[in-house]
Amino acid sequence: MPPLLVIDYHNGVPAYRQIMDQVKLQIATGMLPPGSEMASTRALSTELSLNPMTISKAYALLEHDGVLERRRGQTLVVRETHGPEARVERIEPLRTQLAAAASLARQLDVSSSEALKLFRKILDEETK
Amino acid sequence: MNAVTATSAAPTVAPFAARGITKRYGSLVALNDVTLEIPAGRIVGLLGRNGAGKTTLLNIVSGIVLPSAGSAATFGVPTDRLDTPQLTRLGVVQQEGGMISWMTVRQHLDFNASFYPSWDRKLEQRLLGELELDPKRRIVQLSTGDRQKAGLLLGLCHRPALLVLDEPMSALDPIVRARALDLLIERLRDDGCTVLVSSHILNDVEKIVDRVICLDQGEVVADAAFDELQETYAEWILSSPAGTLPTAYPEPFVLSHHGDARQARLRVRTNEFEAAEKFASDYGAQVQRRPLNLEEIFPLLANSRKDVR
Repeated sequence: MPPLLVIDYHNGVPAYRQIMDQVKLQIATGMLPPGSEMASTRALSTELSLNPMTISKAYALLEHDGVLERRRGQTLVVRETHGPEARVERIEPLRTQLAAAASLARQLDVSSSEALKLFRKILDEETK
Repeated sequence: MNAVTATSAAPTVAPFAARGITKRYGSLVALNDVTLEIPAGRIVGLLGRNGAGKTTLLNIVSGIVLPSAGSAATFGVPTDRLDTPQLTRLGVVQQEGGMISWMTVRQHLDFNASFYPSWDRKLEQRLLGELELDPKRRIVQLSTGDRQKAGLLLGLCHRPALLVLDEPMSALDPIVRARALDLLIERLRDDGCTVLVSSHILNDVEKIVDRVICLDQGEVVADAAFDELQETYAEWILSSPAGTLPTAYPEPFVLSHHGDARQARLRVRTNEFEAAEKFASDYGAQVQRRPLNLEEIFPLLANSRKDVR
């Protein structure tokens, strides 16, 4: 069973965007390994009660971004990625979260070194 | 009914197009110089406050009402000349009325089916079950909600290519309403049916539409892809501990604001990250951005006629 997508229709983020972000995150976390087949537009439209146009748009943009590729003309699969740019892409969700944290740090008037110290402490606690 | 001449529109012809249509009822102008196109294979939400002209527009699409000026064409045919080839491909669900009240639901379904060679009995049977409608009841005895269910069945069992719905589910309970929404998506998915639906229930609309047309006082104030609208409008929360925020914002993209010198909530018509950051730093403030849902975007559309288009 492919990993579930959860769409919040009411948070103002376009549904195609939510699909893109979740698929990228699922790939980054290994929930969707390279080569996995994506659900068809039709199947996903039924499952999510979502306009098929929205799903086509999300898939087309993911294909354009090189995250997905069409195999044998039709089936849409997760693209195999190699090299440093694959790693950059993989940690993109972390970057987004850290950018939000950085903005909060500025608002709270926390210095860079103070913020880094805190982040290091959290990382160390998690690995214990 | 024989489909005599095959005047079926080429796929490039929009299911509905209006050029400069105006509709007057005496001195009342219901629609004023409206130009728009409903693209094929879309679910288009028609929004507007009471009296904005939604029902008039829907009635023009189906030829029930003719425009006082301008031209309107359904499936490429001027709406004063719609005939069997077009009307059999059109499905209409009216807000109220339009049904023969002494008939039972069963009789009414059979009556409508007799006009349409394409009537789908299997679909009819399934929908009676899914929408929980008893075919033995008379139309006159139905509750408002059940009447809406009957309207949906009567409007779409012939599997139209264009479905026009006027407030089709306002009286349905949440469970049946969700099924009705799924049903519209299913019609698009299975038959490529174009759907034009008016609704006040913005929560419902935002789940299924991919385009939004907003009318205000008979004029089109927005006609855009829903994604685009969501990505255009945003809320910015500005905070300035030093109290450097102004009492008014002259920037034309600021549609509304409230707050004081230390914090303010702005509704804006731009969603560029850099724009928000620069704007905030110009005012010596920090900014948090938040997307807006349709309920929050709607008043910005309906109340800002000059700004939005």
